[in-house]
Amino acid sequence: MRTTIRVSAVLAALLSLAGSTARAQSANITATATVFQAMTVTGARTLDFGNVFPGVAKAVGVAAATSGRFDLTGQNSAAVNLSFTLPANLTSGANNLPIGTWTGCTNTTNTATGCTAFTPSASATASAFSGTGSLFVFVGGTVTPAANQAAGTYNGTVTLTAAYF
Amino acid sequence: MRRCVCFLVFALVTAARPLAGQSQVTGLRDLDFGAVIRGVQTTVAPTDPIRSGRFYVRHQLNRQVRVAFTLPTRLSRVGGGGNLPISFSTTDAVAQGTAATSSPVTFNPNTAITFTLVTSADFYINLGGRVSPAANQATGDYSGTVTLTCTFF
Repeated sequence: MRTTIRVSAVLAALLSLAGSTARAQSANITATATVFQAMTVTGARTLDFGNVFPGVAKAVGVAAATSGRFDLTGQNSAAVNLSFTLPANLTSGANNLPIGTWTGCTNTTNTATGCTAFTPSASATASAFSGTGSLFVFVGGTVTPAANQAAGTYNGTVTLTAAYF
Repeated sequence: MRRCVCFLVFALVTAARPLAGQSQVTGLRDLDFGAVIRGVQTTVAPTDPIRSGRFYVRHQLNRQVRVAFTLPTRLSRVGGGGNLPISFSTTDAVAQGTAATSSPVTFNPNTAITFTLVTSADFYINLGGRVSPAANQATGDYSGTVTLTCTFF
């Protein structure tokens, strides 16, 4: 009799353990963000090839007084990606003047001296604002007039898109 | 008689062993809003493969798991000096089993939900959200803690 009671007590305890399966666990992750001040991008100077002649290619380098320039302001020392939408031609009415061989450079001061060279394209180029939140982007290129290029004033648009990363 | 009792006790202990090694929840990836601009609300979708938060949950097939988030209402500026409001919509969480036949389940991370594990014993939970910096929000890094609590049945 004593043996039977002991077994029953043990069975009752074990069955109550077997029925208790609800169990809680927790895990954490972190939510993060970095707040920056808003960025401004200004087209500051037109890329100007001046007078060009049929059949004679003409280049304007980034250090030239007539190179294109964008002025940016943003978060001090923040990294920024630069990408461009570039025309294949300058146009004058129905006439096209091919443009290409783009050149670029960036600097944290308003001078091409000592700037960092890059090739403008639709792909992102990494750069960074100065410690006071400034960045200057200089753009050059080459126009290639045909031998029978029609006379006229040709124009096109270069677009710079900048984004923090 | 004594030998018979010992055998019976041993068998019951084996069957009632807790599932400690089989049930788990693990944080895999932070919810990262990256660079946000003052005055501009920024959203991360739960389907974002890089920025969304991510947890891994494992239990047993045909068992149930109740999941409940503890979500922050603001992120704190590292070093002090500001709070960045954060919020979560009713579609900012997605659960996805690991089986090829599993379909994603979008749910509200603001309320608890119980899943019955039918196709796979383990699954992932992705979390999105949005931050709303003020126009004069102090610049800098902000962070907060997201907790996922799983109750295994």
